[in-house]
Amino acid sequence: MTVSALTRPGERDRLIVKLSELDWVFVLVLSLIAGAGALMLFSIAGSSWTPWAAAHVARFGICLLMMIALAMIDIRVWFALAYPIYGLGLLLLVAVEAVGDIRLGAQRWLSIGSFSFQPSEVMKLGIVLALARLYHGVSAERARLSWWLLIPAMMIGVPVLLVAHQPDLGTAMLIALTGAAIVMLAGLSWKIIGAAVVGALAVIPPFVLFGMHDYQRQRVLTFLDPESDPSGSGYHILQSMIALGSGGLLGKGYGLGSQSQLNFLPEKQTDFIFATLAEEFGFVGCVSLLILYAAAIFMALRTSYLSHSHFGRLGAAGVTATFTLYVMINGAMVMGLAPVVGVPMPMLSYGGTVMLTVMIGFGLVQSVRVHRYAEVTSGKGSFV
Amino acid sequence: MTQPSIFFEEVNERQGTFHRRTVVLGAFAGLGVTSLVARLAYLQLFETQRYEKMAVSNQFNFKLLPAPRGVIVDRNGAVLAANRPNFRLMVARDGGMDPETTLHTLAEFVPLDAVRQRRLLKDINAAPKRAPIQVMEDMSWEQFTAISVREPELPGVSADMGEVRVYPYGGAFAHVIGYVAKVNREDIAPTGPNADPIMLHPGFRIGRQGVEKAFDIDLRGKPGAEKVEVDANGRQVREDPNGDIAATPGKEIQLTLDVDVQLRAEEVFAAESGAAVVMDCRNGDILCMFSGPSFDANRFVRGLTGAEYRALSTYDHKPLFNKALTATYPPGSTFKTMVALSALENGYDPNTVHVCSGRWFFGRTWKCDQVHGAQNMHNAIATSCDIYFYQTALAIGPDKIADTARKFGLGEIFDIGIPGQKKGLVPDTAYKKRRFPKDPKWHPGETPSMGIGQGYTNLNPLQLCVMTSRIANGEKALHPRLIRSIGGVEQKSGAAWGELPVDKNHLLFVREAMAAVTTGIGTAARVSDLGLGPIKMAGKTGTAQAYSYGAGRGVHGTAGAWKLRDHAWFVAFAPYDDPRYAISVLVEHGGFGASAAAPKAREIMRTVLLKDAEVMQRVQTVTPMPPAPEESPPAVTPDPGAKV
Repeated sequence: MTVSALTRPGERDRLIVKLSELDWVFVLVLSLIAGAGALMLFSIAGSSWTPWAAAHVARFGICLLMMIALAMIDIRVWFALAYPIYGLGLLLLVAVEAVGDIRLGAQRWLSIGSFSFQPSEVMKLGIVLALARLYHGVSAERARLSWWLLIPAMMIGVPVLLVAHQPDLGTAMLIALTGAAIVMLAGLSWKIIGAAVVGALAVIPPFVLFGMHDYQRQRVLTFLDPESDPSGSGYHILQSMIALGSGGLLGKGYGLGSQSQLNFLPEKQTDFIFATLAEEFGFVGCVSLLILYAAAIFMALRTSYLSHSHFGRLGAAGVTATFTLYVMINGAMVMGLAPVVGVPMPMLSYGGTVMLTVMIGFGLVQSVRVHRYAEVTSGKGSFV
Repeated sequence: MTQPSIFFEEVNERQGTFHRRTVVLGAFAGLGVTSLVARLAYLQLFETQRYEKMAVSNQFNFKLLPAPRGVIVDRNGAVLAANRPNFRLMVARDGGMDPETTLHTLAEFVPLDAVRQRRLLKDINAAPKRAPIQVMEDMSWEQFTAISVREPELPGVSADMGEVRVYPYGGAFAHVIGYVAKVNREDIAPTGPNADPIMLHPGFRIGRQGVEKAFDIDLRGKPGAEKVEVDANGRQVREDPNGDIAATPGKEIQLTLDVDVQLRAEEVFAAESGAAVVMDCRNGDILCMFSGPSFDANRFVRGLTGAEYRALSTYDHKPLFNKALTATYPPGSTFKTMVALSALENGYDPNTVHVCSGRWFFGRTWKCDQVHGAQNMHNAIATSCDIYFYQTALAIGPDKIADTARKFGLGEIFDIGIPGQKKGLVPDTAYKKRRFPKDPKWHPGETPSMGIGQGYTNLNPLQLCVMTSRIANGEKALHPRLIRSIGGVEQKSGAAWGELPVDKNHLLFVREAMAAVTTGIGTAARVSDLGLGPIKMAGKTGTAQAYSYGAGRGVHGTAGAWKLRDHAWFVAFAPYDDPRYAISVLVEHGGFGASAAAPKAREIMRTVLLKDAEVMQRVQTVTPMPPAPEESPPAVTPDPGAKV
């Protein structure tokens, strides 16, 4: 990276400069991932653009334009909006608790007119922005080990509990882990990290046994032994592993995956699209895709590394952590390493919500990149 | 101006921490991706064969196809039971369909009334998902095509071509061959051949009676399978003809029966009740085993309605009964052959004369239907004089008669392959003792009855045919044989069961006496004339009381209510000078043996003899040519020059 025009205050606000400073390789990587998704969606629809592939491409196009637009927004605007967005997220979560629709047995959706969405998606971004904003004005000492840490703990804990109550354990876990990643990156003492890990490990088994809904517990137990009930609750995991395993080194060929083409694979266009790709393109295809994901993660993390503002660093890293968690959780689930949770593979899976969330996040990351030399000064580590 | 809350070195410290921690986060992400790759490598490179197998077993199913059922043929290869194509209509429960609407739609193309629709709906809903239930069979080609073209719009509906059993001769062989029918819940066994999943196939039929039942496993063959690609819902996506497993057809079973003879028997019985058995008395082959009245086995294949079944099962002529095997009757005077043989074997002089005055007193008055005058044994058989045999039986005693009768197969069950034979009874003193503990003594007054084949004596038509065959054969203890071969494997001959331990001269004596029955003074003199020149039939009539009128025989026996009339018997063999075939005919409640049974025996026997080329050679004796004229015509010799 050459010392760019960004270092010169007069030029760095020009749109053309900002655009040229976007990470275009990153854009290319994201496009390749989304393209792979479109390719697979075309295949499983029986070589048809409808119903999924065309919509996927269109959505990605719109989201990409939006990401670029968001990247142009000054980092200080993001900074100023951090708490309001978080607050809005909290309000919506409370609202959904009160008046939300119940779909598929969980109260996750909020309808405004004909438009309905999941407030927990707002919170995925809100938690990143708010924690970055919070830590921006906090000394290393406080962030390491102090009673002050109860503030970020509460900021994470409240939305996590609200989302978990919907119940949407997958998203709750995602928000909790994203928040934990930011707190860790901000310099939390290793002692607390160690204690938290040990505590979490100790809490999980009793939670699985007593704190979960039956279907959630069933999923966990099934994950531990998928072949115990191959036609029932173990069906998803087993069929997914069959699709993966039977793909072999080079796959069965494009459009020739029997597991996905004949509908043995459940949720083949959303949560299990990775298994479709694995079946038709084999180990080689899977590793290629994972390399693309690793590259995206690396580039986003590098952006956070370059930022001169703490808000920028933590914000970009927080989004990266969310994205990484999506990939890991979905990958592990498809490969039978994790219980079935409704977490899609970002950019690859069909579905607008997650793509929108992730691309808005990447808009923040790119904004951090474009405004990496900008001074973010209004923060004092206090509440607005 | 307030103090900045974060000092420069602090900022540096925060940045430093963040950068180190970013590396940690990156390392975590790297570790995560690496574990995913490792897991992928494990699944896709090391376990791939296992999962490939599972994917294939997901993708392909084998649909069972019933094997063509083995054909049943007569001794000359004429087909008695075969399979014909059958267009069937099936409906199975499936996603996206409502069985009720579907049946309603189908009713536009095939006749399905409301009652039947309701019954089918119950069956369809009770069956497992996607298990086809037969809605109709034997559709016409028009119906079949009408449904076929609409199959894509009617989920769960399928029209296909299967096979259905057909019996070309309808009722003639129904009792011997039996029939096939749909599988019942009770037929399915947890193990063995009846545990085969093919039993659940809607096109499969199980043998219910006779040969179809006894040789069901041989006839079934081995089911094949059709390889089809299915989706996750079990719907057929496409077929893979290369992966099909061909069915092994069932074994062909050849019977010893002869179609022509059997059909002639059916004809002569018409609506009368009775049975006829014809055996080749050289090897025991059963050429004819008919029981009348019969029923159309084809109706059973399709499934009888309750009313049809009730009509058959309650009719007093008992059409569902194989009277040749399953019913026993007093043999009447046909049993006199046994009494005579027993007497001869035990040193009784055949020239002993008893005088028949129409009545004889022994404890009570025993009657004869005529006044025969002085009779020796030969004449007594020919005229069927009861008075003679009352006294002969009394002279020998029941045990010796029974002993001889058993040597001729009476009271024995023969392994002819099909079930349902009744043993009957040849009584003796031991039987009396066993059966009547309160009156165990055989009273002398019971012996005269036995002498004329009445009393406790009860036999079936097959046994009497075996008896006649052994008398006619004279040497072998013939066994009847019904199954000639199974899948080309010849079954044991009826002549391979050993010798008949009876003096040949005594047998000759009885045969000659039986020849006298059909000539001159004999009881069946005119009615048993075959009309085949030198070929004559020898036989013995029998008229057995079915009901005791107290005063013995009388007009009631032949003219009363059908149920109370006498049973008419005739046993015979032909040609009498070179015995080849033996026959027994029973006409249930037919009246006199000579008038009811003998003409039927004659007609059936004629058919048998007309088919025997060697016998026919004797019938069609060549008229000697007139002497040739002196001058012979000029010999025509080929011209060597004309050769090419």
